[in-house]
Amino acid sequence: MTKRRVIGPTAWILGGAGLFIGAVAAWLVSQGNPGNMGLCIACFLRDITGFFVGGSTNQAAVAYIRPEIIGIILGAMGAALVTREFRPRGGSQPIIRFVLGFIFMAGALIFLGCTVRAWLRLGGGDLSALWGVAGIVAGVIVGIVFLKRGFNMGRAKNLAKPLGWLLPAVGVAMLAFLLLSTYGAKPDWATVTPANGKAVVPGEVVVTTDGTVIKPADATLVDGAVVAADGTVLADSGKVAETKPMPGGKRAPLWISLVAGLAIGVVAQRSRFCSIGGIRDAILVRRFDLLFGVVGLLIGATVVNLIFGQYNLGFTGQPVAHNDALGSFAAMTVATFAAILLGGCPFRQVIMGSEGDADSFMAVAGMLVGAGATHFFKLASSPAGLTDIAWPALGVMAVVLVAVAVFGSRTTA
Amino acid sequence: MKELDVRGLSCPMPLMHTKKALESDPAEIVVHADSGTAKANVAALLADEGYTVTIEESGEEYRIKGLRA
Repeated sequence: MTKRRVIGPTAWILGGAGLFIGAVAAWLVSQGNPGNMGLCIACFLRDITGFFVGGSTNQAAVAYIRPEIIGIILGAMGAALVTREFRPRGGSQPIIRFVLGFIFMAGALIFLGCTVRAWLRLGGGDLSALWGVAGIVAGVIVGIVFLKRGFNMGRAKNLAKPLGWLLPAVGVAMLAFLLLSTYGAKPDWATVTPANGKAVVPGEVVVTTDGTVIKPADATLVDGAVVAADGTVLADSGKVAETKPMPGGKRAPLWISLVAGLAIGVVAQRSRFCSIGGIRDAILVRRFDLLFGVVGLLIGATVVNLIFGQYNLGFTGQPVAHNDALGSFAAMTVATFAAILLGGCPFRQVIMGSEGDADSFMAVAGMLVGAGATHFFKLASSPAGLTDIAWPALGVMAVVLVAVAVFGSRTTA
Repeated sequence: MKELDVRGLSCPMPLMHTKKALESDPAEIVVHADSGTAKANVAALLADEGYTVTIEESGEEYRIKGLRA
């Protein structure tokens, strides 16, 4: 071996890409997106599911076609077309990829964020994200054990052209529904979480857009209701809860989100940014390029959060987060293990699906369906913590993943 | 010369296979890839290991060639 280089130019390109994506994500929070959720592939796909089926899946609070996702799909597709990297391909265990996408989503919604948002939460000072980051590392290590045993899902083949356009077509359809429901008439069957507007409860009680309840000086908050000094209820708990902005209602203006998504899609497609690949490659093949991406993301988000006064260091009181250490760790271990088996994080799945990869489309489809199921079965966590069925569900999903990893080994060398 | 085919493989297989092929320190290596990601990852690995990299593109694949400088 001669003149081996540990950090090459691609590492710096990935670092720059991460820096850009992290900075844009944190800026999107200042433009109206939920706290530490300027960009979250799991949350945003979940919100999109909410638009289509939220009425029957308990997703009224999280229903909105996130323009960022549309932008990422179209941006990555455009970049791939221009560089002639758009290639219809697939056929490598599509059904199993659907299942892995489903499990990834369930794990992410138990943690409250995907592998991208885990880093963004940390970049906002949310130290409870550290439990999730520890889970990412654990999930990577478990995945590597099986990769080293020879796990892989076989080769994808070149496919008939139309199959490469599945995710871009879905992106265009989502754009049509978004524009229709925003500027035209929302279809009756669709659900859209009301936007920030309703922040005032009649009777001198104001709920600010960040969820803080402002009440008269002599009033007190009793079980969620605002009660005046003389005992009269100024606003009952239901009304206060209803007025608190819900995650799906917190959003940057449509065109800002869309353009930001386009830029992120182009940067991610060109740089191959991945939120788990960095740790995987560092441990597995001693390559550190991708790790520069997540470090860049963390730095970019932290700096911009500090600039906009959004940085809040601590374990509790963090936006759209809970501080269940073990639950966060386990949920992220399961989600990351699934992502390692898929060959990339959910962000990468969206990017590759936009480059013509029908297998990645199946993973994204699994995530969308998984989001609906996770909310339907009340498996998704809330800031109050995990639900009753979270632990049994995590156990079942872990067993399924191990089964896939054990029986899914094929020889390709 | 070493020649390997990583077409159709998900990450991190292309890197793992290439890395393994480099263990014998070949003077010349050719890797067949068919996704932009595999092409970029393999090319970066070869460049970082001190190879001069050239990439030929055809309709079906990328032929990544590394020559020991």
